[in-house]
Amino acid sequence: MTTIDVGILPVPHEEAPRQESYLNIAYTVKSWALTTDHKRIGVMFLFATSFMLALGGAFALLLRIEHLTPGMTIMDAYTYNRMFTMHGIVMVWLFMIPSIPSAFGNFFVPIMIGAKDVAFPRLNLLSFYIYLVGALWVIVALWMGGVDTGWTFYTPYSAHSPSAVVPAVLGIFILGWSTIVTGINLIVTTHTMRAKGVGWFKMPLFVWTTYGVSIIQTLATPVLALSLCVVGLDHWFDWGLFDAARGGDPVLYQHLFWFYSHPAVYIMILPAMGVISEVVCTFSHKNIASYKAIVYSTLGIAFVGFTTWGHHMFVAGMSVFDADIFGITSMLVAIFSAIKVFTWTLTMRKGSIVLRTPLLYFFAFLFLFVFGGMTGVAVATQALDVHWTDTYFVVAHFHFIMVGGTLTAWLAALHYWFPKMTGRMYPERAGYVGATLVFAGFFMTFFPQFLLGNAGMPRRYYYYDPVFQPLHVVSTVGSWILGFAFIWTLGYLIVACFNGPRAGNNPWDSRSYEWYTTSPPPKHNFVEEPHFVLDPYDYTVPAEKMHA
Amino acid sequence: MPEHVAEQFEDIGKQAHAARLAMWIFVGSEALFFSGLFALYAAYRCEHPWGFGVGVEDNTVAWGSINTLILVVSSYVLTLAVRALRHDKPRASALLIGVTMLLGMAFAFIKVGEWLHHFGDGLYPGGWGHFYEEPGHGDPGTKMFFTLYYCMTGLHEVHIVVGLLVLGFLLYKVLRRQIGSWAPHPLEVGAIYWHFVDMVWLFLWPLFYLMPGAVGR
Amino acid sequence: MSVPGKPAEVSGVTLFVAWCAILVLGAFSLVMRFAHIGSFTFLTGFGVAVIQTTLVALFFMELVHEKPTIRFAFVTCLSLFALLVTLVTVDVITRSIPPLQDPPGTAQRYRG
Repeated sequence: MTTIDVGILPVPHEEAPRQESYLNIAYTVKSWALTTDHKRIGVMFLFATSFMLALGGAFALLLRIEHLTPGMTIMDAYTYNRMFTMHGIVMVWLFMIPSIPSAFGNFFVPIMIGAKDVAFPRLNLLSFYIYLVGALWVIVALWMGGVDTGWTFYTPYSAHSPSAVVPAVLGIFILGWSTIVTGINLIVTTHTMRAKGVGWFKMPLFVWTTYGVSIIQTLATPVLALSLCVVGLDHWFDWGLFDAARGGDPVLYQHLFWFYSHPAVYIMILPAMGVISEVVCTFSHKNIASYKAIVYSTLGIAFVGFTTWGHHMFVAGMSVFDADIFGITSMLVAIFSAIKVFTWTLTMRKGSIVLRTPLLYFFAFLFLFVFGGMTGVAVATQALDVHWTDTYFVVAHFHFIMVGGTLTAWLAALHYWFPKMTGRMYPERAGYVGATLVFAGFFMTFFPQFLLGNAGMPRRYYYYDPVFQPLHVVSTVGSWILGFAFIWTLGYLIVACFNGPRAGNNPWDSRSYEWYTTSPPPKHNFVEEPHFVLDPYDYTVPAEKMHA
Repeated sequence: MPEHVAEQFEDIGKQAHAARLAMWIFVGSEALFFSGLFALYAAYRCEHPWGFGVGVEDNTVAWGSINTLILVVSSYVLTLAVRALRHDKPRASALLIGVTMLLGMAFAFIKVGEWLHHFGDGLYPGGWGHFYEEPGHGDPGTKMFFTLYYCMTGLHEVHIVVGLLVLGFLLYKVLRRQIGSWAPHPLEVGAIYWHFVDMVWLFLWPLFYLMPGAVGR
Repeated sequence: MSVPGKPAEVSGVTLFVAWCAILVLGAFSLVMRFAHIGSFTFLTGFGVAVIQTTLVALFFMELVHEKPTIRFAFVTCLSLFALLVTLVTVDVITRSIPPLQDPPGTAQRYRG
């Protein structure tokens, strides 16, 4: 029988005594700047990526304000083009890609496998500094007026745009190396640093998805690096690699770009799925319905996801034969996501459900990801995509996945692991309010965009037909609610960092391996080298039986 | 002075395996870095078979082939250097690493020499230069061939330079006895990288020097 | 003699033989360049490169003795390489194939 605990009051826990942890072992700037502790590096990534989320979010709010009226509202057309481009660049490369793997992956993967640190701790720190240098170059591009080519840098326009293309592509090129280094580190860590008893099919599922993501990002990012190199060469030196007069073909750029950028969207969603697996099991107090289904679907997404890139190019001038191949592979890859959704839902059945903020975010994720995923299958259908491509329908589709899916899971991760990372609890009621506002604001912002796109509103257009205005206004008001929801969430989390009640080792009564250690964990993750006897989702035994 | 096992590994064997796994994955990612350019070559060659053939004809086969020989010899010499280090012969190993580096530098110089020779003919990347205005050279495919030539051999040259820096660093470590038969994996890992750079050239050589296609005499 | 934990190494003889094979194959490829075989230079040039790089990977980089994980990783990378090159080339080659014709009467039905 499924039981639901809709507790409004926080879960009671004993006041944990103050102990030495990775946070208080040293307080100097140098101890953070030169740290090789994966937890501190994860925290630094979390702060950096959160700042980028705020920056990209500010651009989004300004874009939505511009669209309150069909003509000029607050900015001219050239500024509008640069605004949506920078919104895309900052959100995709500075926030979405590193948000879960580099922050939570870095923090939790070694703990979840019972290791002291990652395989190459100094390389880990290097990846953070590479991220900062890349981010700096993107800021330089921003300071120089930004780019107006769209985040996709399509040729031939990107070779001739008067905007700051070269610093932007240089920044993204450098950021790519950060993700490659992190990817290699996490793959090798997962292969070589698992503690005794942590077999491949006994790891927490978050480790599996981080492993899958690391494979994708290590193998796909170099192709992006190359395609941006080429844009840079074309722009700076006019080498005309995609200029028809010099033997070039602009569609080939799109092949190279999307070969990376389609797996990139799986880089963005797979870690989110890993978080969801953890949250569902913990708050249903139940084993995952099928561990192998999640593992194999993760690997399926990682590998089959590489074969589908051409569905972004159905109307670009690609051959129909190639397009047919991509249409079929795109349908295949959707199957794996569906397997995961059914597995998570089945996990909740006959569980002992505890309704806390992370689970609320899971419900939001479930609805929005399924909605967005189904529209993804829809636009993967060539004949339908001819109507919807380059309209707001596609914009709504990918925001449902990226915001409704990844960002929601990021918020779930933030709340779920808040007690472990900080040693304190956030206020649950404030969390409920925040989650509700995020969902409501998101839906109000992006659902009208499906209707807009289907009715013919093109994307990246500055002027629009006044008939579209009412839906644009609804969408903009929704963006204000969503923006407020983020500020609300950020506010109570910051306050809780300093004033929240102290959390015990395992406030959620989870069985996953990170909950075996103290909150926050000590520098080397565990007091003694752990040997995990129980499975990470074994809720058939009481919490007292958990010892490493 | 022996390099002690890093604190996150149980023993040197595990550390060595982790280092080799990391380098292999990195080499795989580097292969994918080149893959986009190979894809462009393949697609553009299908679109401009004649123009590409003219380009291959114009490249000097002798220099390209000498460079291939140099790299293949350097790879073999490096395998001998790794064997020497494993069998506790650090001085022989250091000498062989040095020979590898000299061969690598020779490759790098010859390559730059070829580029300068092309510049002298008015043959620049991006279809710039008076070479393309000469009869028989004006095909857009020829322009694209040479742009890709500069891109791919240029990217390869960057990898050669990085490889030389890595080998130099490893040579220093061998001379200082910081790596040796007790833990030869840093040299093994550096050698994997150098062999990869050799592998890329083994494909660039036919693509740019040996395949004149229908144009060939 | 091998370091504890290190897989067995490739023998000196094997290395020498592999190296000689690479040189001989290279010479063959070079000779074919001048052998008036037109477009077949693609087969000889590319084919020789594939064999040479396989020898380098197996023996110089000691892939024969590495754990299956590493071999799988490298094969995966090569597969993705091949995937990109193949589908991009297929696009370019198949563009002249016209799409299916509309059924008769379509223009009248969907006017405007």
